[in-house]
Amino acid sequence: MNSLWLLTKKNLQLLLRSRSSALIVIFAPLLLILIIGLSYNTSAQYDLYIGVHAPSFSEDVNSFIGLLDEEFTISKYESSVESCVEDMKRGIVHTCISLPETLNVQDNSQKEITFYIDQSKINLVWMIQETVKSKFDLQSKQISQDLSQNLLSKLSETKKTINEKKGDLTLIKDKNNAASTAASDAKISLLTINTNTTEIVYDTSLVNTVSSSIETVKDNIANALININALNLSSTNKTNITTPLYDANSTINSAISSLNGNGTSISSLINTIELDMQVLKNQISNISSSLATSTSNIDSSSTNLAESITSIDSLLESLNALSTTLDSLQVTDAAIIANPLTTKIETVREDNTFLNYLFPTLLILVVMFSSLLLGTTLVMMEKNSPAFIRNFFLPIKKSTFVLSIYLTNVILILIQVVILLAISLFFLKEVLTTLPIIAIILFISASVFTFLGMVVGYLFTSEETGVLASVSLGSLMLILSGTILPLEVVSSPLRWLTLFNPFVISEKLIRDVFFFNASISVIFLDLLLLFFYMVALFCIILIIETLLHKHLAKKFLKHRHKLHIQKDKMKKSVVGK
Amino acid sequence: MVTNNHQKFINIKEFYLSVDLIKLKGVTKEYRGHAVLQDVNLKIESGDLFGIVGQSGSGKTTLLNLVAGFLSPSKGEVVYVSKVTQKERNLKKDLHKIKKYIGFTPQHNSFYHKLTVLENLKHFGKLYNVKPSTLKDNIKNLLIFTHLVDYRHMLAEELSGGMQKRLDLSCSLVHRPKILILDEPTADVDPILQKEILFLLKEVNKQGITIIIASHHLEGIESICNKIAIIHQGKVHSQGLIDDVKKPFLKDHFTINMPSNKDKSMLIEKLKKLSIKKILDNDDNLVIYPDNVESAIGNLLNIIKEENLLLHDMDIRKPSLREIFENIAKK
Repeated sequence: MNSLWLLTKKNLQLLLRSRSSALIVIFAPLLLILIIGLSYNTSAQYDLYIGVHAPSFSEDVNSFIGLLDEEFTISKYESSVESCVEDMKRGIVHTCISLPETLNVQDNSQKEITFYIDQSKINLVWMIQETVKSKFDLQSKQISQDLSQNLLSKLSETKKTINEKKGDLTLIKDKNNAASTAASDAKISLLTINTNTTEIVYDTSLVNTVSSSIETVKDNIANALININALNLSSTNKTNITTPLYDANSTINSAISSLNGNGTSISSLINTIELDMQVLKNQISNISSSLATSTSNIDSSSTNLAESITSIDSLLESLNALSTTLDSLQVTDAAIIANPLTTKIETVREDNTFLNYLFPTLLILVVMFSSLLLGTTLVMMEKNSPAFIRNFFLPIKKSTFVLSIYLTNVILILIQVVILLAISLFFLKEVLTTLPIIAIILFISASVFTFLGMVVGYLFTSEETGVLASVSLGSLMLILSGTILPLEVVSSPLRWLTLFNPFVISEKLIRDVFFFNASISVIFLDLLLLFFYMVALFCIILIIETLLHKHLAKKFLKHRHKLHIQKDKMKKSVVGK
Repeated sequence: MVTNNHQKFINIKEFYLSVDLIKLKGVTKEYRGHAVLQDVNLKIESGDLFGIVGQSGSGKTTLLNLVAGFLSPSKGEVVYVSKVTQKERNLKKDLHKIKKYIGFTPQHNSFYHKLTVLENLKHFGKLYNVKPSTLKDNIKNLLIFTHLVDYRHMLAEELSGGMQKRLDLSCSLVHRPKILILDEPTADVDPILQKEILFLLKEVNKQGITIIIASHHLEGIESICNKIAIIHQGKVHSQGLIDDVKKPFLKDHFTINMPSNKDKSMLIEKLKKLSIKKILDNDDNLVIYPDNVESAIGNLLNIIKEENLLLHDMDIRKPSLREIFENIAKK
């Protein structure tokens, strides 16, 4: 134990007396956190320069630029977007935005806004994308709200029109019903009209019979006349007798003529009547046909009217449904339609400076780099110390040397952490409450990183390469921690591996304790994992020390011996001359 | 300068009395199939100031690291033997128990530059579980011993090169080790500092601490070590007390310088009667190749005394470690 303290004391003395080491290893991280503390103890937005190009800076475009101007520094590029892109390449602006002539959406074509981002500035890309995009989202929401409002107005008007036109449709339906009834009545009336016609046959034989009788009478008269004439009767008598006969004959002839004569004869009359009757019959037939057609038409009309009524009913029903649907629209506020989900971020802590969010990362960052560098530097100091060979002859176990380096480191890191937490208290008052657990975590983390640094120190020959390797190792752990780049962009297996990254574990532990006041029981598993790392690394160092110590000592001696031989040769050559 | 406080440091000498014996038994060390060290057998005893010398890349640092337990042998074993119990402990198996008795100073300073002198010493002393009161005494004595008292509150990186070396040494001694292992302690330092470091090591060794040094600073090793091992091409060429190591490399000749040509001619005449292989007259000196160097020197001195000849100087020195080393390297 005494040896351990003696070696530790010696290490501390050596480190503190070596000004450059003391400055770089001890004070640099503290200075770093002080600067970061002062720099990030603000909630101000990012100081981003944005170049905006638009074919014409219309009112709405300018209004949008005004929105951006609230948080960013805006440069307008009227000529072309290329000049903006060129400026971005030269670092004058961080991003370029190409806007359309107007942001008003008047037809079904979308308005395209183009972002030009320099992907090589990987740390800025996400920030720019996120911050600028939020502004566009806001503008887009505003436009969307206007459009929704317009749509809602149209819908409201439609609903009103539907309600108005529903009465008209009912009226039309009633009229249709009346027409349908009238048609039915007309059809019934039409159906009552008998248009049946019997076959009208005039028996002209009677005329022939009469004619024949008259002919007979005529013949009889002729016979009578002959007979009369044959009779010796006075002429007067005869005349008296024959004259009526002749008159009768004449009448009979006239009657016969009337019966059988052309034109005005009874036969003709009968024929005429027959013809007229036929015409009439034909007309009645036509009427019947027309009636049938009309009835059919009325039927058709009735059917159409019925269909029309059904359609009107359906239409009314649809309009009612539409009206009901429109009535059922619960969300009628355009703002809600345009932005149905509002995101409200409830911070788990009330802090609002960047330092609060960065504090766990910064703390572990400083502890990690300090421990790694100190571990490496102290091992290198011991390895490259002129007293390295003398230490071989000391009756001290190798583990004592390892522990002394570790203890030296822990003491220095603890001093750093105390200063660091003291500085932190200046910015973050609440650190005090979680101090004991944070101290435990920092102690174990510092141990892990110290041992890692020591492993590096043992594996590398020169201090320069060792320190470089330590810095590289620290940087690797930092890169694979999600601090610089989101871990989501790395491949799954690698992401899984990062869960075992001591930096990630330590940071998470500090975060849990600092932000959520997690108790030891909550963080126990992670803490155990770190502790396991610590023990495992210590064992590895002991193995390395056992394997390498003699080798290093031999190398050390060989190197010194070689130098001596070289000097000897040089001396001889000088004497020779 | 060191004496008074040095004395205090010596007062704890008894602590180091039961110094162990280190044995390397057939140690081979291979790197990727290439043998850096082959079948090394060494014995380092308590109180030794043992130098391991060799060319750059010869394997001396590897050998040192094997002794320190920093490296394990591919073959063979390194054992630490307790003089008291005579129990052998395999370094590889009992490294954790043994290493607290070892102080190791690598080639380059091995302390924390951003700590002060005092903080460094306290840090390492405490980590070795030295009792506070003892540690306090140790640090005090070490600071005086290494002349760092006035700089104890200075950052190590602000010290001069020499001070840093002394601090490094203090860090290795702060827990009172039984064995101090040093890898090239005088490399990259100026000659004055080299001398200072060597002096300190000698003083430390005097207190009973076994010291093992790997270095190619041969003069330094030769000046302070009592034993050496010469490593050549991964093998121990020779080892033991320095004189013993030098024996095979003793010169077969010696040189005399006489101001008078008359005396010189007389001496040549006299020497010709002795068992001398060859005499080279180089005008300013004579190089004499006898059958036996030691007896020839004795005879020579007798002739000079008897004939009353005037001898300016005589070079009868043994070969230096460097000469031996270069000799081996040439082979």
